[in-house]
Amino acid sequence: MNRFDLLEKLQESLKDKLVICNIGLPSQELYQINDQPNYFYMLGSMGLSSSIGLGLALSQNKEVVSIDGDGSVLMNMNTLATIGNRAPNNYTLLIIDNGSYGSTGDQKTFTNEATSLKEVAIGSGCKKVIECNGEDTSKRLDQAIEDKNNSYVIISRINSGNVSVKPIPIHPISIRDRFRKYIGLVPYL
Amino acid sequence: MKMSKKIITSLKKGGVNFYLSVPCKLLANMIEILEKDDEVYYSAVPREEEGMGICAGAYLGDKLPCIMMQNTGIGNSVNAIVSLLQLYQLPVVFLISYRGTPGEQVGAQGGMAKITEDILHTLKIPMLHCSSENDLNKITTFTEHAKIIESPVAILCDFDLMKDDE
Repeated sequence: MNRFDLLEKLQESLKDKLVICNIGLPSQELYQINDQPNYFYMLGSMGLSSSIGLGLALSQNKEVVSIDGDGSVLMNMNTLATIGNRAPNNYTLLIIDNGSYGSTGDQKTFTNEATSLKEVAIGSGCKKVIECNGEDTSKRLDQAIEDKNNSYVIISRINSGNVSVKPIPIHPISIRDRFRKYIGLVPYL
Repeated sequence: MKMSKKIITSLKKGGVNFYLSVPCKLLANMIEILEKDDEVYYSAVPREEEGMGICAGAYLGDKLPCIMMQNTGIGNSVNAIVSLLQLYQLPVVFLISYRGTPGEQVGAQGGMAKITEDILHTLKIPMLHCSSENDLNKITTFTEHAKIIESPVAILCDFDLMKDDE
């Protein structure tokens, strides 16, 4: 299973959730599979998907899922310490770990070698850390979202590989405004 | 505590209700005030760039966020400012302790001090430079301005202004 297959399988689990999706191919694939107003596509700032989702989860009560990648988490690894200490129960971090920098030509990341993001997350203070394969991910994600008493970090280990997709044709301000409108907190939207 | 109290009161009056910090000794009193304040969210974060991401999410969730940091933190955050906060027009207040300005005893802080305002100019981020207590009176309006123009703004507090704020 590669990332595109996994994102396709997760559509039911992500329905109605506030989803922050990682820059590059993950967002482009998600857009192509099933564009939704509750999906916030990152167009820049690699590494910050987990952080944007955390800020959103701390600010309102709806369920938030940050979709991140192994390369991006490695770029902002302190995020796991902040999540381990501060994440509220409406927050789930889903790390799609395909062991490669998919958007830049599938160069290998350190999760292919000695680094375990599961161990880093546990060492950072994250209490519910699940490592699973692609097939089990939607079930694990559903369970994480259903558990109203805990925040989760899920590391989904899948194969590398990308499909052919195009850049997202929505203006960043439109992505922002339809997302905020979906959340429903801003009266003028 | 006089300056620190005034700064936090002015930010709150301007609508800021979500605070993060990467510490500085000049921010220590403000952090102490915020830790005891039940009306707003406050947390420390390990790195400024990460804080920019958390602030972006907080604004999407309808908070008005502020990140408190040394001017060195701007250097750590340039890409996040441009390709997240400015790309999506997300207002965030940067409250910056301006290390390396006159009164500073650590010579090594001088390097970032020399280029801080140039970086902010290049990024086209509106600046409020506070050198005296009077300047702090502008913080509330400046904070409201961030929300109106949907842009990050920077408040710089000089070393000399904050150093004796005990």
